[in-house]
Amino acid sequence: MEINKELIQKIARNARLNLTEEEIKEFLPQLKEILEAFSTLDKLNTAKTKPSFQPIEIKNIYQDDISEPSLPQDIALSNTKHKKNGFFQGPKAL
Amino acid sequence: MTKIGIEVHIQLPTQTKLFCRCKNPSTLTEAEPNTLTCENCLGLPGSKPSLNKEAIFQALKLAIALKCDINKETFFSRKSYFYPDLPKNFQITQYEIPIANSGFLKNIRIKRLHLEEDPGRLIHEGSTTLIDYNRSGIPLVELVTEPDFASPAEVREFLKELLSLLAYLQIYTRTSEASMRTDANISTSGERVEIKNITGLRDVEKALNYELRRQQQEIPRIQETRSWLPDKQITILTRTKETEEDYGYIFEPDLTKIEISQKEIQQIKKSLPELAPEKTKRFTQQYKIKESDAQVLTSELLLADLFEKTAKKISPESAAKWLRREIPRVLHYNKKSIHDLEIDETHLIELLDLLETKQITEHTAKKILEQLIEKPFRPSEYIKKQKIKVISKTSEIEQYCKEAIKQNPQAVQDYKTGNEKALNYLIGQVMGKTKGQASHKEVNKIFKKLINT
Amino acid sequence: MDFSKDQKHFKMLAKDFIKKVKDKEISVIKNTEKILKEAKNINKEYSYFNFISEEYALKQAQEIEKSIKQNKAQGSLLGLPISVKDCICTQSIPSSSGSKILENYIPPFNATVIQKCLQEGAIIIGKTSQDEFGFGGFSTNSAFEIPKNPFDKTRATGGSSGGSAGFTQATSLPHISIAESTGGSIVNPSSFCGVYGLCPTYGLISRYGLIDYANSLDKIGPMAKNIEDIELMLNTIKGQDPKDSTSLNQELKKSKIKKIAIIKESLDVDKQIKDLILERLDSLKIKYNLISLPITQRYGIQTYYLIAMSEASTNLAKLSGLTHGSQLHLKGTFNEYFSEVRSKFLGKEAKRRIILGTFARMSGFRNAYYLKAMKVRTLIINEYKKAFKKYDLLVSPTMPILPPKFSEIEKLTPLQNYMMDILTVGPNLAGLPHSNIPAGFINKLPVGILFIADHLCENNLIEIGKKLK
Repeated sequence: MEINKELIQKIARNARLNLTEEEIKEFLPQLKEILEAFSTLDKLNTAKTKPSFQPIEIKNIYQDDISEPSLPQDIALSNTKHKKNGFFQGPKAL
Repeated sequence: MTKIGIEVHIQLPTQTKLFCRCKNPSTLTEAEPNTLTCENCLGLPGSKPSLNKEAIFQALKLAIALKCDINKETFFSRKSYFYPDLPKNFQITQYEIPIANSGFLKNIRIKRLHLEEDPGRLIHEGSTTLIDYNRSGIPLVELVTEPDFASPAEVREFLKELLSLLAYLQIYTRTSEASMRTDANISTSGERVEIKNITGLRDVEKALNYELRRQQQEIPRIQETRSWLPDKQITILTRTKETEEDYGYIFEPDLTKIEISQKEIQQIKKSLPELAPEKTKRFTQQYKIKESDAQVLTSELLLADLFEKTAKKISPESAAKWLRREIPRVLHYNKKSIHDLEIDETHLIELLDLLETKQITEHTAKKILEQLIEKPFRPSEYIKKQKIKVISKTSEIEQYCKEAIKQNPQAVQDYKTGNEKALNYLIGQVMGKTKGQASHKEVNKIFKKLINT
Repeated sequence: MDFSKDQKHFKMLAKDFIKKVKDKEISVIKNTEKILKEAKNINKEYSYFNFISEEYALKQAQEIEKSIKQNKAQGSLLGLPISVKDCICTQSIPSSSGSKILENYIPPFNATVIQKCLQEGAIIIGKTSQDEFGFGGFSTNSAFEIPKNPFDKTRATGGSSGGSAGFTQATSLPHISIAESTGGSIVNPSSFCGVYGLCPTYGLISRYGLIDYANSLDKIGPMAKNIEDIELMLNTIKGQDPKDSTSLNQELKKSKIKKIAIIKESLDVDKQIKDLILERLDSLKIKYNLISLPITQRYGIQTYYLIAMSEASTNLAKLSGLTHGSQLHLKGTFNEYFSEVRSKFLGKEAKRRIILGTFARMSGFRNAYYLKAMKVRTLIINEYKKAFKKYDLLVSPTMPILPPKFSEIEKLTPLQNYMMDILTVGPNLAGLPHSNIPAGFINKLPVGILFIADHLCENNLIEIGKKLK
């Protein structure tokens, strides 16, 4: 697995992170070292093993379709500077 | 050879949202923006989803009615991508194992059916975007078909049938059609093109027809994703395969796996109402009406119910004729759907009874029906008020006819020389003067008698 | 402050304090004022708090005192000051999770555990410092002031719940802290600060309102000066929560300690630490065996970090400056805006983990990394389950080293940082309850002993804690 600058930039783009040249320079050897260590999982044979997405398996948890009060509009908007007429305001979307 | 496959998203009319207990706005009238939200559907830190039982039930009902294979165990996944209408910048959906696979509707194969949450609603305002998260979290059922459609018209028919099925299953609301969103994959002469986010029913056929025409001019060389712009009635390129997002799916760790038992499936199967195909058969046999009439009547559950209730008091033949022909005609003319109908069987029974007892003519009945569609009223009171009666006396009708003949000598001449249209003109004159209270048939007979003598 | 001289200031048990409050022997307002003053003083030097909720706490105290006067006061935590790790949502009190991207973020709701504490009459005195989002084992990845070890200011408190552990040790008044663990963040700083910390069975305590690091690994748990306080808080905040679908609906098992085993691989640490652990174990006069957990030892770190980072990278996607958190001026497209906000306000370790986590679940790599780790997790869980068929408790040192100096930490690579979790990732991966019991001192620095029990066997941990006094 080739960990290089291009791959890191691709991943960073996907994750909406603008990495500076310094950051990439710093991260590259660190990430290489880490991924090399992670890759040792290859050594284990897990062909017949089921994944454990949760440590304790619980199933069939759901709630009844009964409504509860929503947040008042001003509270819903209380943590943003960018709002207008009850709407959240964001940058250009198209 | 044209091949079309679609992914349809339908809002489920549960009381609350899919992953939180905010009221589901699809069952409410317009609400102020961001008044039906909580930390969960806003995606605030620390919030966690909790699954709505009713949403699973409604999705199962649909899956079973579509004859799908139901998976014994299903779970949810996070689909990651960044967009302002997606509060968490991931959508909780189903990826590896959906609720159901392999069903069909008419002759279109359904590949899979799953549940996912609706994102919020964006309003584009120049250099900014306004966002309302009321819609965020509404339960959506997504239906994916195989590329079995050969034409845009087939797609439209399928979607109509699907909406009708939703009505039968009682998972339909007045906003179901308008809020339905379709992505279509179309390949005709070149590479496959995806058109995303077509809202409603009519635009689907329009967008696909546009795309077919466009692709003949410009054969797609690579796979593309395009958006349908309803105001401009065109599609525009949004991205190519190279720039596709990687969704990085993971198992949704805040929710549990859901088991669906055979028992539950059987219970739902048993509780399914009589669906259109069975109803058609029964109507044909029980009411002794034509199969083609029965098919029209059962295409909408409301129409079918109206027919049956009316047929209790009025002859099924007459009820079938009026419900299968006149009501759809008048609704269509007024750009309304059966769901907008404000009258019920009592109005129809009254009207058709007046007709059957010859207190009004068919012409009058049609006119009354047209008005009933606009606003309900009691037909018997109406004819009293309007002093509508049937002019049945032959002598009276003759008077009107003679008057018309006198006032329209040219028309009489034209008719005599073989112009049938001229007769209709004369009849029209009498209908106008009598305000439709003379029987069309009678007037025709009398004119023919008078002129030919 | 040198606490090592006066370990006897572990004075009053919380339950005794609460009784005195109910008997009107202690004034809640006066006590709250006292601890707030102390917290502010300590904070100047040690930075255990990101926020001291003075106004809020005094208001609470007044209300409680009023109801006490009216003989209406109830609650198993009546009048008890508590500190809360900054990643746990407290309504109307800033909750930053140690990150600049949530600086001054005010949650519109309380975490379920906080709701429970408030209902029982606890008083929230502040939000404690931590590694950003829990990313770290020394609390040095905090975007704000870094907490210092109560026994030596040049050394770390451990992490990520460093502030909670530090203040739990430093305060002279009855107090319990509510902390959080993903890979060891309760027991690690508990060990480095010489306090008790218990990380419960996954799902025993509701995670609703916990700002997520990794959802299948996060747990909330108490830190205190004594095991009785741990027991009190554990029993107050546990219980199924309809808002947290992964919370358990099961009772804790009765304690039963017949057989104990030391994890063989864990003894490969500093000799002094090993000797101290064995000495304390011997004092218990319970026979113990040796058990090997090779898969956990060899693959635990990789498995933990792959799962944690995969989940964390999705959780952190919420932070894009749109509906909450730090924001910039709206300009450019939304992709540009999101990227600018995230790049500016997220710390380096957060960025590293987002990249690794995004990578691990990308198509093409997902099977080899994300899914593979989930499968190895099964093997690790099975390894523990097998051990618990034979033993009631597993033992090891909590940390492989003594609390390090900040200057030593600076020299570590990220991977070396991750390796520090070697003794704690196992139980965290498997969702097993585990606790740090202060074992003693080496070179005046605290050392902790780690006990691991089977699912729902917290009472074993409490009993052994009582035995080891």
